[in-house]
Amino acid sequence: MKKYFFVFTLFCGLYSFAQNETIAFGEKLVFSASYNMSGILTDIAEVKMETSKVKTSKSILMRLKCSAATYKKWDNFFKIRDLYESYVNPKTLTPYLYKRDISEGGYYKFMQYKYNHKTKLVKSLKRKKRKDGSTWDENKNVKINASTKDIVSTLYYIRSLDIHKASPGDQQNFTVLFDNEETTITLKYIGKEKISTNIGSKECYKLAISIKGSDVLKGTNSNLLWLTADKNKIPVYAKFKIPVGNGELKIKSATGLKY
Amino acid sequence: MGKKLIIILGFVVAILAVILAVTPLSNLAVIPIIVAFVCGLLIVFMSKKDNTKTKSIQYIFLLVIIALALTIYKSVYYTSEVGDTEQLEQRDEENLEDSKELLEDIDIDEDL
Repeated sequence: MKKYFFVFTLFCGLYSFAQNETIAFGEKLVFSASYNMSGILTDIAEVKMETSKVKTSKSILMRLKCSAATYKKWDNFFKIRDLYESYVNPKTLTPYLYKRDISEGGYYKFMQYKYNHKTKLVKSLKRKKRKDGSTWDENKNVKINASTKDIVSTLYYIRSLDIHKASPGDQQNFTVLFDNEETTITLKYIGKEKISTNIGSKECYKLAISIKGSDVLKGTNSNLLWLTADKNKIPVYAKFKIPVGNGELKIKSATGLKY
Repeated sequence: MGKKLIIILGFVVAILAVILAVTPLSNLAVIPIIVAFVCGLLIVFMSKKDNTKTKSIQYIFLLVIIALALTIYKSVYYTSEVGDTEQLEQRDEENLEDSKELLEDIDIDEDL
């Protein structure tokens, strides 16, 4: 009997694990990205994370949108106007469509993934611009795992996890589809920490991120993410060690929160 | 020998300071400005000791002053604001319309 009870609670746990109780429609988070070299900060871009409701004739989806735009002083040197979006099931945050539309200093790239979770296939479309302005497409079918998500939905999915149940040192792997390849991202819970942010002093969950088989992020435990230790789990601060210094992402404002 | 080395170092660093001050990374120009200034001072002291006059001191200090003025001006008058996002907003809307069409035939599985 005890065994059945255990299995039952485990399933309940798993079920609640997969439910989104954190992210609401109409949430808007604004960040400022900066480059840090030996303690001197230089503002680079403004990053926004927004959610909204998208209605189709059959269903309601949640649109997760991340956009990045460089500040004015950078525009003449290196203008970035990036758009990342993912259309997900509002209850489970499972993605159905992903789009990445980036324009970085004259370089343009468009990626689109259309998921089919039944056949575990992703129809991928890559569009690039030639020098003369015309575009070319590349279509591909990519086989994915059951839990594979794109980068945007993974970011939001992390927030929906029950971090309060984790103990320091716990790890979880996430499979992320990026540039038509599945990459494993490992998230490690380090502990709680109180930090001061633009939206007040917050008790936060401190998480370390690492990418398997990639050297984009340097060092162990030096790529960190702070999520507020409340029901909203807002990402308030992030720190990345890249080959040419440190990058930082600081929250500027948070509106439309659920709690 | 030592003096020549400091003069060359001072010049290189002072030029680097001016270059950095012109780019949006003007905050970082502070480091080479300090280094160039120190080099300049060293040359002044060395010249006083040898009783020689070195023209390079004036050039190094001139470059330092230009870099410093640019850096201060930029940090005072430049605020962090986003430039034109019209094109981004337009792409955003186009993508949303296109996505709605693509999602029209999708059935959401509640369990997934």
